[in-house]
Amino acid sequence: MVQFSEEKLTKVKEIIARYPDGKQKSALLPLLHLAQDNFGGWLSADTMDYVASLLQIEPIEVYEVATFYSMYNTKPVGKYVFEVCQTGPCMLNGSDNIIAYISQTLGIKVGETTADGLFTLKTAECLGACGYAPMMQLGKHYREHLTKDKVDAIISECRTAAAANN
Amino acid sequence: MAKAMQLNTMGRKLLLEKAHVEGIRYYDVYRREGGYRSVEKALKTMTQEEIVEEVKKSGLRGRGGAGFPAGMKWGFIAKPEGVPRHLVCNADESEPGTFKDRYLMEFIPHLLIEGLIVASYALGSNATYIYIRGEYAWIPDILEQAIAEAKANGFLGKNILGTGFDCEIYVQRGAGAYICGEETALIESLEGKRGNPRIKPPFPAIKGVWGRPTVVNNVETLAAVVPIINEGGEEYAKIGVGKSTGTKLISACGNINKPGVYEIDMTISVEEFIYSDEYCGGIPNGKRLKACIPGGSSVPILPANLLLKTAKGETRLMNYESLSDGGFATGSMMGSGGFIVLDEDQCVVRNTYSLARFYRHESCGQCSPCREGTGWMEKVLLRLEKGEGKISDIDLLWDIQSKIEGNTICPLGDAASWPVAAAIRHFRDEFEWHVTHAAEAQTRNYGLAHYADPIHVPV
Repeated sequence: MVQFSEEKLTKVKEIIARYPDGKQKSALLPLLHLAQDNFGGWLSADTMDYVASLLQIEPIEVYEVATFYSMYNTKPVGKYVFEVCQTGPCMLNGSDNIIAYISQTLGIKVGETTADGLFTLKTAECLGACGYAPMMQLGKHYREHLTKDKVDAIISECRTAAAANN
Repeated sequence: MAKAMQLNTMGRKLLLEKAHVEGIRYYDVYRREGGYRSVEKALKTMTQEEIVEEVKKSGLRGRGGAGFPAGMKWGFIAKPEGVPRHLVCNADESEPGTFKDRYLMEFIPHLLIEGLIVASYALGSNATYIYIRGEYAWIPDILEQAIAEAKANGFLGKNILGTGFDCEIYVQRGAGAYICGEETALIESLEGKRGNPRIKPPFPAIKGVWGRPTVVNNVETLAAVVPIINEGGEEYAKIGVGKSTGTKLISACGNINKPGVYEIDMTISVEEFIYSDEYCGGIPNGKRLKACIPGGSSVPILPANLLLKTAKGETRLMNYESLSDGGFATGSMMGSGGFIVLDEDQCVVRNTYSLARFYRHESCGQCSPCREGTGWMEKVLLRLEKGEGKISDIDLLWDIQSKIEGNTICPLGDAASWPVAAAIRHFRDEFEWHVTHAAEAQTRNYGLAHYADPIHVPV
C-alpha cells in the first residue's frame, strides 16, 4: 500500500493550507507531482486513489487530471527519462537527429524503456528552452545545446549514478 | 525633438538592467541595488486607485501575447463586499519560441515578487498565486526562496511595512499543458482540474478562481509594474512609440548567432534586431534570411521581404503596430515576443508540420473543430512533407484551418490555424513543389527561392 512518510504528510498539509477552506482539490497537481516523485516515477491506480483519499475527492477526479497533463506518467517508466523537445525551434536546430541518435544508442524507440529499466525515451512539445536548442528534460533539470557527444556523456553519467546507487 | 528623445531612450533597460549584477538573485543584493522601492512608494504613499491609474497611464500592454492594456484589465475587477479577490501570475510560458519569463524568474526573481506585491495591493489580493509550467521544475525553488526572503524582510506576510496590508504569495506548478497559459484554463488547473478553458463571459475579473474576482497577468507584465511605479506611468509611456510603450523582452531563437533574451525599447527595426551584434548577431555561416515567426509560434510566419519591410515599403519595427502592419495579408504580430528565425536552408512545410503537431498535442479536446482539425492538419502536412501529398491537399489545409479559426471556446484554435494559413499564404509555391517534385523534396529543401526579393510597391 502506498503511504507518504510523516515528513511528506507535513508537506501535504502545508500545500493544502495554501488554498481556501474547502478548496483542497486545488492541491491536486502539486500532490500528484509529490506522489510521482515519491512512488517510482509514475502514478499507479493505487497511488491515485491514495491522493484522492488525502484530498477527500473521488478517485475519478484524480484520474481525469492525471491523464490530461503530459508530465504525469500513468505507466511505469525507466529510472532516467529523456524527454527530448521536438517542436519548431528545436527542430530547426536538429532535434530529430538527437532523437534518432538516442534511439539508436539505447536501442529503443520513442516511448520505450530499456530492458534494464534504466532509460525511457520520450519526445516532448516545446519546453521553453528554444534559445538553447536542441535540448531535453532529465528529471528536474534541462540539458541544453545537445550534441551526440553530450548525449553520450549524459548516458554514462546516468549509468554511473545508477551503479553508485545500487 | 521627437528624434532626440528617441535617441535618449534607445537601448534603455527597465527589467534586465540589473539582471547580471552578481548575487542579484538574493534579497540583500537586490535591495542594495534599489529593489523594493516601488513597494514602499505604493503601499505608503498611494491608494489602490492611484496605482491602477499609473498603470493605465503607462500604456502597459499584457506581455503574454494578447497585448491587452494591463491597467484596463485591472480596472475591470469586481469588488463585491466580503468576497476575496485574487491576483494570479501566469508563468505557464509555453508558446514555442518563448523563453523570456523563465529568464526573468531565474536571474532576477525579486523583480517579479516586487511587482506582485504592488499589484496584489492595487487589486486587494491577500493570497496571490504564481502558476508556473511544470517543466520549469527548478524555478519554484528560486521563487520560493525569494518569497521567503521578502517575507523575512517585512515585504510579505502580515501587516506589510506597517500599512495593515497582508499578502502571501504561493507557487503552483502545472504539469505539462500549453493550454493552461490561457487564463481560464489556468484557473481551472489552479482549482485542481483538467485545463479546459471556460466560456467567457463571465470573465475572470468577475468570476475567476473559486468563483472570486481574479486578475491573471503574465510574468513580464507584473515585473514591468515596478519601473512604472518607480518612475511614474507618464515617464514609462515616453519610452517606445505609439501604443507600444515601455520595453519588451524578446526571446530570439532559430538560425541566429546569438540566441537569447533581449530587452528592447520598441523603436528598433527588425533588420537591426536580427543583424546587430547587440542582439541576434546575424545568421550563422553567412546564410541568408528566408523567413521569421516574430512573436511566438501562433503568429503568422513572414518571408524575409515582408519581414524587413512592410508592404508599403516602410522599414518594419519591433513593436505591436509595425509588426502587425498590413494585417494578416502582409503582416504578423508581436505576440509573446518569441522571435524564430529561419535561414535559407529551412523547409517551411516541415516547420509548419512541426508546429501543427504541437497544436494537435496541446488541444484540450473540448471543441471539435480544434480537437479534430488540428489532427487533420498534422496528418495532411506530414503527407506533404513526406512527398505523398496532392495539390488539392493545400486547399484542404486552407479549408480546415478556416473552419477552426473563430469556432472554438478559446484562442488555441486560432493559434493553430494562423501558422498554417500564413505558411500557405506566403509559401504556397514551396508547398506545391513538395507535390510536383515529391522525390526531390525528400533529398533537398526548396531554398530561398524568391522570398527575399524586393516587393514591388504600387505607387
